[in-house]
Amino acid sequence: MEAHFRAFTFVDRIIGVKPGVSIRGQYTVPPGVDAFPASLVAEATGQLAAWAAMAAVDFTHRPVAGIAGAIELLSTVRPGQVLELSANLESVDTETVGYSGSASADGIPVIRLLDCVGPMMPVEEFDDPHALRNRFQLLSAAGAEAGAFGGLPDLDLKRDSGEWGQSASAILHVPSDALLFGDHFPRRPVFPGTLLMHANLQTAATLTAEVPCDNGLAWVPRTISDVKLRTFISPGETLRLEAKRIDHSGGVLKVAVESRNNGRLIGSAGIEFGTAAPS
Amino acid sequence: MNEINNIKINNDEIQSVFPRVAETIADAIGCEVEKVKLNASLIDNLGAESIDFVDIIFRLQRLFKVKIPRGKIVEEARGSLSETEFEKAGVVSDAGVSRLRDYLSEVPPDRFKSPLNVADIPRLFTVETFCKLVIRQQRATPTADVSTPA
Repeated sequence: MEAHFRAFTFVDRIIGVKPGVSIRGQYTVPPGVDAFPASLVAEATGQLAAWAAMAAVDFTHRPVAGIAGAIELLSTVRPGQVLELSANLESVDTETVGYSGSASADGIPVIRLLDCVGPMMPVEEFDDPHALRNRFQLLSAAGAEAGAFGGLPDLDLKRDSGEWGQSASAILHVPSDALLFGDHFPRRPVFPGTLLMHANLQTAATLTAEVPCDNGLAWVPRTISDVKLRTFISPGETLRLEAKRIDHSGGVLKVAVESRNNGRLIGSAGIEFGTAAPS
Repeated sequence: MNEINNIKINNDEIQSVFPRVAETIADAIGCEVEKVKLNASLIDNLGAESIDFVDIIFRLQRLFKVKIPRGKIVEEARGSLSETEFEKAGVVSDAGVSRLRDYLSEVPPDRFKSPLNVADIPRLFTVETFCKLVIRQQRATPTADVSTPA
């Protein structure tokens, strides 16, 4: 399968855009995928914002993942649902883009991204600017054919240590070769920051499973805050992910997650869990 | 008092913004606020990376309701010097270093290495540098948040 604009692309249509200001779009979650987790909804919202940013600078630069002040996880998405995406750009130039965004499905809010900042980098390092411009025009006109995404790749993530109920540590082997790298990005394969977020959520979940929850309820992530990605993650790298319990009171559990490559901190975030009936 | 381009910034003004600037930097870098001293170098003392500078600038903009364009510090330090008079081939000229010393008066003179690469200018920045940056932008912005913390 041709990977470009298929393997890790989550915007099918741009409904309206004011370059550099705001954008609305859609993505149809393929009905055949097993799941479409929150991290991919965040990715879809970020990709929509990226289109507005790239259009504002005439496709000379593109944003890469950097900072998210807060990601509010409001509900889940089922395969086959249509995501309604929107983003507002606080500022954009050839150095950085600041934006907020949201996604909903069937009128129900799914995710909110607040105070996001992405460094802008020369687009030619990552992709063909003409291909991007053409894709933007397609998305803004008839839209792209839906259903290309084949599902989340299996992540080689194994918990290997930790203190019961207090911390969890896991090793993530970033795949050396995966279809998504042909799309993210064609000229420079980079492990998506949202997949690192997904792995961190999974690691944190192994920790929260060890923390007692009242009345038979379960811990569910509600907000991811102060997300920061410090460097690109290349295919084949081995990362250590750590989750530490920070606070537990009043039905709220706070966990700090850090990702390291050879001891160097490459990503961090705080996750706030609330309680819900087990699914 | 510190002077540049006839804009005087006194220590009372610096102290009025320092607590919020320090907390912002601490939150962005992920360190304890007690470590964020006025004379601490963001890179050499606090371990800030480029993404942290981006984070700090955006947080300060939101907190103080000011715009802080990229490269503002160097642009203001350069003053009337043209870009080619300020630096050549990535190395700051003697005239440029002199302008930087005047502008970054909070930075000890011995930190201005010779030759000074343009890429190394951010290594000079201290917490006080950002306090002064906020104050200058507040003065330039009528709707800036100049309230003092409770």
